[in-house]
Amino acid sequence: MTAPVIEVEDVWVRLRGHTVLEGVSLAVYPDDFYAIIGPNGGGKTTLLKVILGLLAPSRGVVRILGSREARMRNDLGYVPQFRTFDFEYPVTVREMVLSGCLGRITRRPRRYGEEDHARTEEALETMRIADLADRQIKDLSGGEQQRAIIARALVGGPKVLLLDEPTVYVDAPMTAQFYGILDGLRGRMAIVLVTHDIGVIPKHVTRVACLNRRLYTHGTNEITPDMLEAAYHCPVDLIAHGVPHRVFSEHLEE
Amino acid sequence: MIEVLGYEFFRNALTAGVLASIACGIIGTYVVVRRMVSVSGGISHAAFGGIGLGYFLGIDPLLGATGFTVATALGVGALELRARQQMDTLIGAVWAAGMAIGILFVYLTPGFAPDLFSYLFGNILLVPRGDILLMMVLVAIIIAVVAYFYQELQAVTFDPDYARVMNLPVERLSLLLLVLIALTVVMLIRVVGIILVIALLTLPAAISRLYTTRIRSMMLLAVALGIIFTVAGIWLSYLANVPSGATIILVSTLSYAGALGVERLRQGE
Repeated sequence: MTAPVIEVEDVWVRLRGHTVLEGVSLAVYPDDFYAIIGPNGGGKTTLLKVILGLLAPSRGVVRILGSREARMRNDLGYVPQFRTFDFEYPVTVREMVLSGCLGRITRRPRRYGEEDHARTEEALETMRIADLADRQIKDLSGGEQQRAIIARALVGGPKVLLLDEPTVYVDAPMTAQFYGILDGLRGRMAIVLVTHDIGVIPKHVTRVACLNRRLYTHGTNEITPDMLEAAYHCPVDLIAHGVPHRVFSEHLEE
Repeated sequence: MIEVLGYEFFRNALTAGVLASIACGIIGTYVVVRRMVSVSGGISHAAFGGIGLGYFLGIDPLLGATGFTVATALGVGALELRARQQMDTLIGAVWAAGMAIGILFVYLTPGFAPDLFSYLFGNILLVPRGDILLMMVLVAIIIAVVAYFYQELQAVTFDPDYARVMNLPVERLSLLLLVLIALTVVMLIRVVGIILVIALLTLPAAISRLYTTRIRSMMLLAVALGIIFTVAGIWLSYLANVPSGATIILVSTLSYAGALGVERLRQGE
């Protein structure tokens, strides 16, 4: 079996006197499409921040490609929750995507090279926003902004793509298109997707976990009632609202 | 009209105005896009503590202000990172404490503080040659540092979380930016005075923001606007024989209001 790209081992996080994460362990493998679901305030963003090194856990370790060094973060592509930064900032789409290369530049002062520009054009093509490259990010639609943010995460050639609630501000037709794009990225990198909305889990996920302080998973792509009940602390009605859901186990779909 | 250029004090005033405009166009751009206006206000008012210290120690008050504002900027930055205090409360405290320290030092200094008023409200027509030299050094430092760290500063002011994921030294860069703001504030004290610094720091950049799409071009336009405002302000204040700092600020504010109005009309069409 191949080695995991991300290992989270018994991570605990306490923030302002509250336990946000309690003994969370998980492993993400290179070909995984891992969905983590859970209620708002269940610690999903906190877990991502711990993996990204933005937050130090009170206990436990995170390994990226088997190492705990900070430079390993360059192998992570991060798509933050929408609207966490200022879209009024004067920056073009191309410049924003290019900025994703900054972490890998070793020469000082940091200046972009030919390869960085080539990777940027490639990421713009992948996300189908090459024709918008010279626009300001504030002049893009929500879906286009979302794709620009993903392009920035892709430009460094990450081993894992981490997405935090990527569909919150994207409407339903765009959501389908968005998951089409993610499917296209599979095989090139592992994908970890975090969402509170169990109705949007795409059918291609390889593993599902429920997070509400503790992480519940069977290591498969099935959401079972016991996982949901444990995570949401109440029986959850698994009605799929017309979205094809292979993730639910058979007996619930009668 | 032109013969006034024959006076050294007037040429000095114009030189000081241009130097200050370069600094505030570059640094003001970061202040506007990163929304650090109140932090800058806090740092500039804390500078009064340094002015008072300068009087008390018998050194150039502007030199005292340089040390004091840089220390304040580093202190605010460190507290922001560690104390997890509400930033606006912290800024309010620094703002008032700096002024209070200044007042105490001035009171404790024997004799009369000669041009205390000019530090508060600016008097660009009285800028001595030594201060011009200090301003030139500060402008050179600001340009060199921003040119060297241009990409990093853009990443940190745009999306600090992402910058941290990319392993950029976000904390050190944030402190660096605060120090640059402090140095810019010192330059502006001579031109418009402590009380009015914040307007000249932010208004040219805020207007420039309306017409530019990149940090670099926003800086260039803000510098040009700053030069126009200060030169126009100095000239008008000379003609009307009124205080120069206040005139520069009113010229800037009216231009900002005009730019917003035009922008509103354009969007209404």
